[in-house]
Amino acid sequence: MADIVTPPVSPNGRKRLDFDQIKKTVIDSQIWRSIFRGGVWKDTPRDRAAHIIGNVWLHLHPVKVRKRAIEWTYTWGLGGISFMLFLILTLTGVLLMFYYRPTIDLAYRDMKDLEFAVTLGKLMRNAHRWSAQAMVVFVILHMMRVFLTAAYKKPREFNWGVGVLLLTFTLFLSFTGYLLPWDQLAIWAVTVGTNMAGASPFLGNEGPFGSLMGMRINNDIRFTLLGGTTVGENTLLRFYVLHCVAVPLLVGVLLILHFWRIRKDSFSAAPRDPNEEKVEVWPNLIVREYMAAAGCVLVILLWSVLQNAPLEVVANPNVTPNPSKAPWYFVGLQELLVYFDPWIAGVVIPTVIIIGLMAIPYLDEDPRGVGYYSIRERPFANTLFLLGIAMWFILIFIGYFCRGPNYQWYWPWESWLKVKAPPPPTWSLPMWAGGLLLLAYFGLGLVAPKLIQKDINWKKAFLWCGAALTGFSLICLFQGITWDRLPWLYFFGFAYFLFGFLVPQRYIRTLSWTRYIVTMSLVLMMMGVLLKMGLRLGFDIKYVFTLPQFSLNI
Amino acid sequence: MSLRKLFNFFNLSILLVFLIAFWIDYHREWKIYQRAYYQKTADSLGKKLATLSDPEQKKALKTQIKFWRKHPLEIKQIIAKDLGRVDRCITCHVAMDEFTNPSLTSDIPENPYKAHPDLAVLVKNHPLQKYGCTTCHAGQGLSTTLEEAHYKVTEGHTVVWEEPILKQPYIQASCAKCHADFEKLRGAEMAALGKDLFQKHGCIGCHQLKGVGGVISVDLGDIADKPLARIAPHNFEEAGVPHDKYSVQSWIEAHLTKDPMDFVSNDPLGKFNAEPIAPSGMPPYYKELKEKEAKALTTYLLSLSNKSIPKDYYVYASPKPEPNFNNAVEHGKYVFNKYGCQGCHGMDAKLGRRNFNALGPGQDSSKPWEIEEMAKGQEPTLVDVVGTYTRGELKKKIQDGVPASSLAKFNPDGPIPPLYMPSWREKIKGQELEDLVSYLLSIAKKQESW
Repeated sequence: MADIVTPPVSPNGRKRLDFDQIKKTVIDSQIWRSIFRGGVWKDTPRDRAAHIIGNVWLHLHPVKVRKRAIEWTYTWGLGGISFMLFLILTLTGVLLMFYYRPTIDLAYRDMKDLEFAVTLGKLMRNAHRWSAQAMVVFVILHMMRVFLTAAYKKPREFNWGVGVLLLTFTLFLSFTGYLLPWDQLAIWAVTVGTNMAGASPFLGNEGPFGSLMGMRINNDIRFTLLGGTTVGENTLLRFYVLHCVAVPLLVGVLLILHFWRIRKDSFSAAPRDPNEEKVEVWPNLIVREYMAAAGCVLVILLWSVLQNAPLEVVANPNVTPNPSKAPWYFVGLQELLVYFDPWIAGVVIPTVIIIGLMAIPYLDEDPRGVGYYSIRERPFANTLFLLGIAMWFILIFIGYFCRGPNYQWYWPWESWLKVKAPPPPTWSLPMWAGGLLLLAYFGLGLVAPKLIQKDINWKKAFLWCGAALTGFSLICLFQGITWDRLPWLYFFGFAYFLFGFLVPQRYIRTLSWTRYIVTMSLVLMMMGVLLKMGLRLGFDIKYVFTLPQFSLNI
Repeated sequence: MSLRKLFNFFNLSILLVFLIAFWIDYHREWKIYQRAYYQKTADSLGKKLATLSDPEQKKALKTQIKFWRKHPLEIKQIIAKDLGRVDRCITCHVAMDEFTNPSLTSDIPENPYKAHPDLAVLVKNHPLQKYGCTTCHAGQGLSTTLEEAHYKVTEGHTVVWEEPILKQPYIQASCAKCHADFEKLRGAEMAALGKDLFQKHGCIGCHQLKGVGGVISVDLGDIADKPLARIAPHNFEEAGVPHDKYSVQSWIEAHLTKDPMDFVSNDPLGKFNAEPIAPSGMPPYYKELKEKEAKALTTYLLSLSNKSIPKDYYVYASPKPEPNFNNAVEHGKYVFNKYGCQGCHGMDAKLGRRNFNALGPGQDSSKPWEIEEMAKGQEPTLVDVVGTYTRGELKKKIQDGVPASSLAKFNPDGPIPPLYMPSWREKIKGQELEDLVSYLLSIAKKQESW
């Protein structure tokens, strides 16, 4: 310390300002020391650890993490970016709340105010809109990353469940926000979305057993959601409160839980070599987290400058746009309405997806593959999970880009101005045939892979499948099916054979019966959706099996 | 790139993009117009300065010039409370802002700086602070860019907003919305002409106006409110309306300047639907309406709205009294025109108009069933056919009408003809019916006696 004491002197003899001395005085002052613990930063390991432990914002981090955890190619920063988007949404959302009034006379007017009169109002709205869309994407990507690195496995099963809930709430947050601009896009997307609730079994007036429970249009779950029988003033207020207060609070609570569990269960990244040294979180991880967050802010900001959030003509409950579509992340479910009865497409399938996702850690008891990407160690889990994600996005793609007026099929490059002939008439299988087919599919499909106890040769299996499909297609040709339908038959036939039979047979036949049956049911249901799409799009089959009493139309 | 460089890059980029966003936000389109107005005002005062000699006056004028040059830029708006409008038009059209320019006059002849025309009548009787701008001119009052405020209606597949700005002569529709006696108003001549033409051409025979008139086609009583989403974009396309001109105005005008059959072709051959659907039943009027007349009719129709107007803004007028006739035939002719019979049977009943796929006189059903041939079907030409009826039969025919299902078709598999004779029992009765029949019998072509 002695060397600092002599103040530097300039050539002309006057004292110069000594910055080091000033810095020391400031840092040693009572005010500074009461706010920031620790003295002058000397960048020792102790300093770096204290920086994490002694800071309320950072102390959720451990002091040291595995090397792999700070690699871009392990996490891709996806969870952090999702959280950053949540923060951007909170900030822009609060700013927007200063200008927005949730009544049907004023809401749309306030949108125009934001665009034309409020300083940076348009930027705030754009950023809020695009961040919300991006958050949905990044939460899904984050889920994919966690799945592919098996980070949901013991002891992190519960946190995976919390994550699935957070995904659901992210979708719900985005959906409730969709209504608030009160334009045509808003009310009709929400109408499409909430109509599905009316088809819930027991709780919806149009769903099976609804009338049994005394459900009418003015007391069912849809009515509860809307605060009326149509999307109106009450709905706007309800969605506003849900969007701005209720759901964000819930998400906040779950986020705290989510983060705390990551800390407690320790980060999933596996060591590259068993004796490796961990690296310090400050600065290694913190700087990367900052970078991901900053990159996220930059892209959102840039995108918001370049691209305006959509705003259509003011909402009019009497004028239905053609076509009306749900928000894009629900368009997949809307597209499923083409293939299934509303209560199956809108209620059963999403419920099964959510519960199925949450069940994954309890079904997958294989301890291998935690903390790194490996298709070789987890061929079944990764293949089927990616297939599911791909199907979700293919459905969204079809619903969003391939459906035009009257929800008819228009290729993305086709003009909607062209009037199209209606699609060929659909037909349904007779009840006995459909029943038998379903029974065979779920009965045989469920047990056959487990009962065949030896490894099937891939090449031979494909040859056999090809031969069977060729034979079947010949019968179909004689029955009057045209040549152009054959690719459908082969594609979906092979897809089922590979993902619904061969892969499960090879990799999960050793599971215990309970786990095997649950897993296989989920696989068969997923493949069933795919097969039904093939039957509808390729062969115009409306329903395979109908039980009108319960509106069970599959 | 090292992490430190990346760190700096991100931070600087965020700052830069935010500054760019702020710059864009700060340099809004309306500021250019408003600033130009103040500068032009100062410039014209500057010219005046050169002619002055009195130093006192000069000093006063100089202060004024300075005032205009340094005038802060601001969004100006009129809140027309009764009419539920907030109009920011005066942000750019500064000469029409009473607070900036109390005289409301302007030396600058071009938009957006010019003064409102006819201040003495239009503005004096419709104070801007009370009526706002969009009440008459339509457009989007809250918008502050040229495109968003005036024209932009569609973007891609979606309607961004309805009601593009109304220009002459269509803006006269706004006069007619409140002034029930608009036929007498100076400046609403086109709307008045439109109303005359509507009656003269018998539009009322098929189209009701708020419940009054024939029931064959849509009620036009609220046609100005028709949402664009109810008009299929491909119909606009076939009518030759460009994408940026989609509006109710161009939709109405297309019906009057083109053949409606060509752009509301529907499905006469049953290609897309289970049953064939006839094209628009509206006969082509483009041959008999001049361009100006079509505009006048459009103007009148754009005044037909169901949107509520506070009743003290409404100018009432008593309906025109029925004229008196001594002559039964004269009265009959008046009745013929009053109920719009000429809409289908032609002016003075001289030529039946097109009725798609109806078997018209002289039509040969052995000809191929093509759209062109089906389009030759027509309504009865009364001068030719009434002579074959007795007075009683004719009365019964008018009272009962002829339902579309019992019309003879040219192509039996084709669509039901869109036009038909409705039952007039409840509408034309008593002396009116008697005299109408007298008139019709009087114009029948004389049969050759044998």
